[in-house]
Amino acid sequence: MTAVLEASIVEQLVAAIAPVLGEANVLTSKTARYSRARVPAPFPVHRWAERVPDLVVLPGSTEEVAHVVRVANEFGVPIVPRDGGTGLTDGAVPERRGIVVDVKRMNLIHEIDLENRTATVGVGISMLKLNEVLAQHGLIYPDNPASYPCSLVGGRIGTSGWSLIGSRYGHSRDLVLSFDMVTPTGDIIFVGDGGGRKISKSSSGYQLKHLFMGHQGTLGIATTATLKLYPKAEAEFSAFWAFDDYDVAYKAVGALARAGIATFAGAVLFDEKKVEYLRRDDEAYIPQPESVKALVCSVGYGNSDEVAAGGRRMMRIARDLGARYMGDEISQGDWASRHDRYATPVHGRTLSGQVALMSWHCEDAAINYTDLPAVTREWHAIVEKLRRKHDVFDDWGMFAYTSSDTGVDYLTEIDIGIWEEKLDDTTWAAFVDAKREIAAVSLKYGGSISACHGSCREGEVDLVPQELGGGYDVMLAVKRALDPNNIMNPGKYGLDRAYDNEGDRR
Amino acid sequence: MSEHHAHGTEPSSIELLPIELLPIDTAQASSDFVDEWRNAAYNCYSSGHKFCREVCPVMQVTRNETWTPTAFHANVVAMDKGELDIADIAEDYVNCTQCGACELRCPNTLMLGDFYRFRTRTVDLVKAVRTLAVDTGIHQPQWKTWNELTDARSHEPVLGEQPVGQDSVREWADGLDIPIGGDDILFVDCEAAFYRTSVPRAVAQILQMAGHEFGLMQEQWCCGGPAAEMGYRDQAMRFARHNLDNWKASGAKRILVLDPHDYISFTEDYPKYFGAEFDLEIVLVLEVVAEYIRSGALTPRVAIEKTITYHDPCRLNKRKGVWKEPREILRSIPGLTFNDVDHVTQWSYCSGGGGGLAIEKPELTALISGARIKKASELSVDTLVSACPWSERPLSAAGEPENIDVVDIHEMLAESLGITVGGSRGAR
Ligand SMILES: Cc1cc2nc3c(=O)[nH]c(=O)nc-3n(C[C@H](O)[C@H](O)[C@H](O)COP(=O)(O)OP(=O)(O)OC[C@H]3O[C@@H](n4cnc5c(N)ncnc54)[C@H](O)[C@@H]3O)c2cc1C
Ligand code: SF4
Repeated sequence: MTAVLEASIVEQLVAAIAPVLGEANVLTSKTARYSRARVPAPFPVHRWAERVPDLVVLPGSTEEVAHVVRVANEFGVPIVPRDGGTGLTDGAVPERRGIVVDVKRMNLIHEIDLENRTATVGVGISMLKLNEVLAQHGLIYPDNPASYPCSLVGGRIGTSGWSLIGSRYGHSRDLVLSFDMVTPTGDIIFVGDGGGRKISKSSSGYQLKHLFMGHQGTLGIATTATLKLYPKAEAEFSAFWAFDDYDVAYKAVGALARAGIATFAGAVLFDEKKVEYLRRDDEAYIPQPESVKALVCSVGYGNSDEVAAGGRRMMRIARDLGARYMGDEISQGDWASRHDRYATPVHGRTLSGQVALMSWHCEDAAINYTDLPAVTREWHAIVEKLRRKHDVFDDWGMFAYTSSDTGVDYLTEIDIGIWEEKLDDTTWAAFVDAKREIAAVSLKYGGSISACHGSCREGEVDLVPQELGGGYDVMLAVKRALDPNNIMNPGKYGLDRAYDNEGDRR
Repeated sequence: MSEHHAHGTEPSSIELLPIELLPIDTAQASSDFVDEWRNAAYNCYSSGHKFCREVCPVMQVTRNETWTPTAFHANVVAMDKGELDIADIAEDYVNCTQCGACELRCPNTLMLGDFYRFRTRTVDLVKAVRTLAVDTGIHQPQWKTWNELTDARSHEPVLGEQPVGQDSVREWADGLDIPIGGDDILFVDCEAAFYRTSVPRAVAQILQMAGHEFGLMQEQWCCGGPAAEMGYRDQAMRFARHNLDNWKASGAKRILVLDPHDYISFTEDYPKYFGAEFDLEIVLVLEVVAEYIRSGALTPRVAIEKTITYHDPCRLNKRKGVWKEPREILRSIPGLTFNDVDHVTQWSYCSGGGGGLAIEKPELTALISGARIKKASELSVDTLVSACPWSERPLSAAGEPENIDVVDIHEMLAESLGITVGGSRGAR
C-alpha cells in the first residue's frame, strides 16, 4: 500500500499547478479524492482508503495537461488519467495514489467536417452528447459500447474499447483517426495513421496510433481526438430468436456471422444460465418459458433497402436452423434497451435464493468461434466452484458477441454477481484466484484475456506476459523509454518490472 | 481550491473536534442517517456506472465528478465505513438543483420501477444530507441568511433588501376582486407573489374567466418547501403547520397551485409531515386550465405571432410526469410557431433555479440557465415559455443577451384569451 503524500508536498504540488489550471480546478477535499478512487469493478469496501489519490486536477487544455505532467515528473509523483471512470479493469484507479488527472472538462466539439466526415473533439465528451449534435447533420459517431451513456472518448482511447455494433462500423481503434496527447514526460505529440489528422490509412512510419490506444493511461494522456463519422443509419434491423438447445443456437450465431451480409452489425449468443438469469428480471425482459435454453440476437444497420434485404436473409438463416422468432416487440424493445440493462444489484441471489445487493463483474475474453462451447463450460465450472465455497458470488450467465464481420472471434463474457459489501480478504483472494483461472482457460484455447476492458486487474494480470510472449518484453522496453520516471499510472500491467530500483522512484 | 468545508460560524468549531468529542447528537444523528440510507447507498455503490452523469445540469456545466449522484451515494457508504463524516461531505450537496433527472436516467429506476417498486431517490438523499448538516450545526452562509430572513418575514426575501411580508403578500391581486377563503384557495408562491406578479394575475384572471370560484388565504406564509430543500426541516414544518391550520380554519377543500415547487411541497412534503390530517385536494392550475380548454369553457382566440419553444420545468416533467397539458395549452393558442423539444430530451435541461442553488451558488445557476437558453436559441425562437416562476428569473437573465424573451405559460394563455394581465415580470 502506498503511503499518503505528506501535506507539505501536496501543498507544493498545489502551488505549482494552481496558477496554471486555476484554483477551482485543483481539488484536495476528501470527497473529491474518495470519489475518484473507484470504478464500477467490485473491490472490497474495507480497502477503499488504500487507493485514494492525494490530489485531483481538472485541466482544460492540452497545455494544462502537459504542465501537470511536468510537475509530476519534477516531484516524482504518480499521475492517473481519468475520464468517465467506467472502466472495468481498474485503469483509472490510483493504485499508487498521486494526482488524478480528470479530463472531463475537455469536452468541446472543436470541428465537424461535413465533407470529410470527421469530428474533432475534446476527450471528455460522451458519445451520446456528441451524437445529439451530429444528428442535426444526419451523422453519427458509431462507437457504441453498452456504456454508451457514461463512458467518454478519452477512456475509449485509453482502453481501446469494444463496440456493440463494431462488426459493421469497427471499434474505437478504427473510429478514432488521430489524437493529440501528452507523453509521460510532458511533451505534446500527435499520433494517427501517418501525419495527417484525418487520414484513415497511411504507411508512413511506425503505426503509433495502435500503441497509444489501450495502454490504460500508462503511456500518456490523449487530449483532443479526430473521429470518423458515418451517415446516421436510415434503418435498424434487430431480431431475437429462442432455442430449446444451446448447440443449435451456437450454430445459428455462427451462420449469421459468417453470412457476409454487408449491413450485419453484430450477433449475440445468450447461454442457458443467462436466460435463467434474465428470468429474474421480469420488467426488462418478457419472461420465456422454461423450454427456452438459449437466445440469439442479430442486428443490422444502414440504408433502408439494404437493411431490409439483409434482415430477410438473417431471418431465413435463423429459420432454416429451427429458430423461433420472438416477435417485433421483444426484438426491437430489447435491443433498444441495451444501454439500460444494468439494474443489476437486485438480481443477486445467494445459494439459498435470498436476494442480495450484488455488484457486477464482467470477464470479457476474446475467443474464437470454434472454442466458445468449451470455454463456456469451463468458465461456468470455475464460477460454480467459487460460489459453492463462498456464498457471496453468483453466476449471471454468459454472452458471446461477434467482434468482426467475419465471425472469427467473439467477445466472450461471463457476468459474476458479487456481494461487494461482504467481500473480505479471504473471499477477495478466492475471487482473484478464480479470475486467474478464467484467464488461463482463455489462453489455453488460444484466445485473449480481454476484448474490451483491458487485463490490469489482480489475478488475470499475472498471465499477461504469458499471453503476449516476447511482445511483453517490448512493452517493458517501450514503457521504460517513454516514461523514465515511472510516472504514468504506475502499478498497472506489472510494468514496474521495466525499472530497476533506481529508476523506480516509488 | 473550490471545495473547502462548510463556512459559517458554527461548523469551524465543530470541525476541529475529533469525532469522539462531537456533540453526542451529531454522532447519533449521523448514524441514524446512515442506517436510513445504507441500502439505497449500496444499491448505487454496487452499480457505480454513472448512467446518470450526463443528464445532471450541475455536471454538465462543472464536469466535476465530486458532484454526481454516484459520489453522493458513495459518500454514505464511506460514512458507513467511518471514512467520511458529515463535515466532510456537507458542502458538496449544495451542488444539486433537485431536478430529479438522475433518478429517471438511473437503470435502477428505469428497469426496476414497476416490478420491484424501486426508485433511485437522489433528491431525497440530497435533502437528507442537507438536513443532517443543519441539524448538526453545519450551515451554508447564504442559505442560513435566507432562512433566517424567511423566518422573520414569513416569506422568502425574493426582493433582496426590499421587504416582503404579510402586508404586501396580496398586493399582486390589486383590482382583481378576489375574496378571502372559500372551498378553493389559490396559493401563490413567494417568487410569484412579490417578484413576477404577472403570473398570479394571469392565473387568477384565467380562472375568473372560466367561472372558477376561488379565494386567497387569510394569512399566507411561504410554503416551507425551499427551507426543506436547504435542510431547514424544522422551519419548513412550522411554516407548513401554519398554512395547514389556516386552510382548515377557513374550511378550504382544495388548494390550487400555480408553482411546481409548491406542488412538490404540498403533494410530497406535507403528507409526510401530517399524515392523515392532511386531507386537502391539491390541484395544479395547469391541469385545470387544460381541462377548461378541452371542454370549451376557455378558447384562446387572440393570435400570438411568436416562435416559441417550451421549457419543461423539472419539478413538473421529471418529478411529477406533467408534460402533456402544457403542450396542449400551447397548441391551443393561435398564431404560435411551436418548436417543441420532447420531454425526455428535456430530462437533461434545467434552469438552474431550483434546490437553493441560485441562493448559494448563483454563478452555477447562471451557467445552467445559459446552457438552457443556448438550446432554445439553436431552435431560432424568439420566446421561451416556462411554467415555473422560479425558473423564469434566471432564464430571463440568460435570455436577454440572446434576445430570447421568457414568458410564463399562464401569461401567454391570458394574452391569447384577451386578458390584460398587468403586474410585473420582475424587472424592478
Ligand atoms: C455498464 C457498463 C457497460 C460497459 N460496456 C462496455 C462495452 O460494451 N464495451 C467496452 O469496451 N467497454 C465497456 N465498459 C467498460 C468501460 O465503459 C470502457 O472501458 C470505457 O472505454 C471506459 O471509458 P471511461 O471514459 O469511463 O474511462 P476511464 O474508466 O476513466 O478510463 C479507462 C482507462 O483509460 C485511461 N484513460 C482515461 N482517459 C484517458 C486519456 N485521455 N488518455 C489516455 N488514457 C486515458 C484510464 O487511466 C484508464 O486506464 C462498460 C462499463 C460499464 C460500467
Ligand atoms: S444513481 Fe443510478 S445511474 Fe447513477 S451511478 Fe448510481 S446506480 Fe448508476
